[in-house]
Amino acid sequence: MPKLTVEAHGVSVELRDDETILEGLYRNGFAYRIGCRRGGCAICKVDLLQGEVFYNRPVADSVLSESERAGGTCLSCRAVAVTDVSIAMREDDDLRRVSTLMALYAASRTG
Amino acid sequence: MAVMRMGYMHVRVTDLAEAKDHYANTVGLYQTLEQDGRVYYKGWDEWDHHSVVIEEGGVGYVKCGFKCEKPEDVADIETKAIAYGYPVERMVAGENPEVGDGIRVTLPTGHQIEFYSQMTAWGLEVGTHNPDAFPRHMVGIGAPRLDHALLWVDDVAGIEKFFMECTGMWATERVQTSLDDDAHTIATWLTIGESNHDIALLEAPENKIHHFAFEMRGWSDILHAADIFAMDDTPIDIGPTRHGITRGTTIYFFDPAGNRNETFSGGYRCFRDRPTVVWTPDQLGKAIFYHQRELNDRFLTVAT
Ligand code: FES
Ligand SMILES: [Fe+2]
Repeated sequence: MPKLTVEAHGVSVELRDDETILEGLYRNGFAYRIGCRRGGCAICKVDLLQGEVFYNRPVADSVLSESERAGGTCLSCRAVAVTDVSIAMREDDDLRRVSTLMALYAASRTG
Repeated sequence: MAVMRMGYMHVRVTDLAEAKDHYANTVGLYQTLEQDGRVYYKGWDEWDHHSVVIEEGGVGYVKCGFKCEKPEDVADIETKAIAYGYPVERMVAGENPEVGDGIRVTLPTGHQIEFYSQMTAWGLEVGTHNPDAFPRHMVGIGAPRLDHALLWVDDVAGIEKFFMECTGMWATERVQTSLDDDAHTIATWLTIGESNHDIALLEAPENKIHHFAFEMRGWSDILHAADIFAMDDTPIDIGPTRHGITRGTTIYFFDPAGNRNETFSGGYRCFRDRPTVVWTPDQLGKAIFYHQRELNDRFLTVAT
């Protein structure tokens, strides 16, 4: 299971296989500004600092261009990690923990 | 009356198979044609060949069409739109499958709007002879019909004026910077007939589609729709709730490509001499989401 790190927020979670970055963060009790959850609105972009992802669905060029991909932009609602990954949120205060309970439970399941 | 209703909405979807599953099995539309990478649908309470078109590749708005009563009405809009200064081109029968001659107006935003007066008749799913109240084997939320759309545009007042002067629509509600006569229009809800809106416009930095909506048969069907969305893992943006604007009950949800859909029900009858309702920005939360009384972080930021 790949590990997802958001270093600026001191966050590290285990991702399930086939789980998107968005799903992994939400399953662990985190929230941030997202929209459609279906790869259409582009609002869930994060910066991929390390590691590799693949997209589990076709992503429209108008949402994520080739040059953005090359530059490390990652559409978190469609991106599935293939290695351990490290990301940075686009807005510093964007990532927040909304459920400690879910975090605890997620940790006990994967730990 | 020239224009009768929004006749069709045509959008792009990234994955055709998933989108077909959504529009057929979750929204409950009836597929009437699949051709050249496009799939055509109608709701059970619609009689024309199609009201929704999905096209594989990309995401977001392609175009929409308004159905007029007579060819002369289309010709009248053509004359007025040319005089208004918007680019107008003729479209011929068959350019859109099962749609007759018409015109295509390109708004300064790039949005294309078509006007036509003829589409192949398909028939109501319940028929017209001693019909039942709804189809016995409805699928998903069983959306009866396409209702309206909200477009993101960078010049609400200019485009509102086009619809009012060239198509005979009028504003039932507006959001504007103040109650003064010279206030800036932030959003407008335009109607043809007696419903609250057939098209709405919201000021935004990009020219996109915010959502298109299906009319449901009341609050209980809206609640039922939300249950179906939970079963089908359809992302819900907000709802079930009520809009302050139009008083309509609503759910915003997303198709598998991220296009926002809405189930809408209610509102009030809008006669042409009804005064336009005005909302000011300090009350925008209540205007959009009447119960929550605050916007979520998606309403003004998420569109396709
Ligand atoms: S949430 Fe809309 S593209 Fe990811
Ligand atoms: Fe709407």
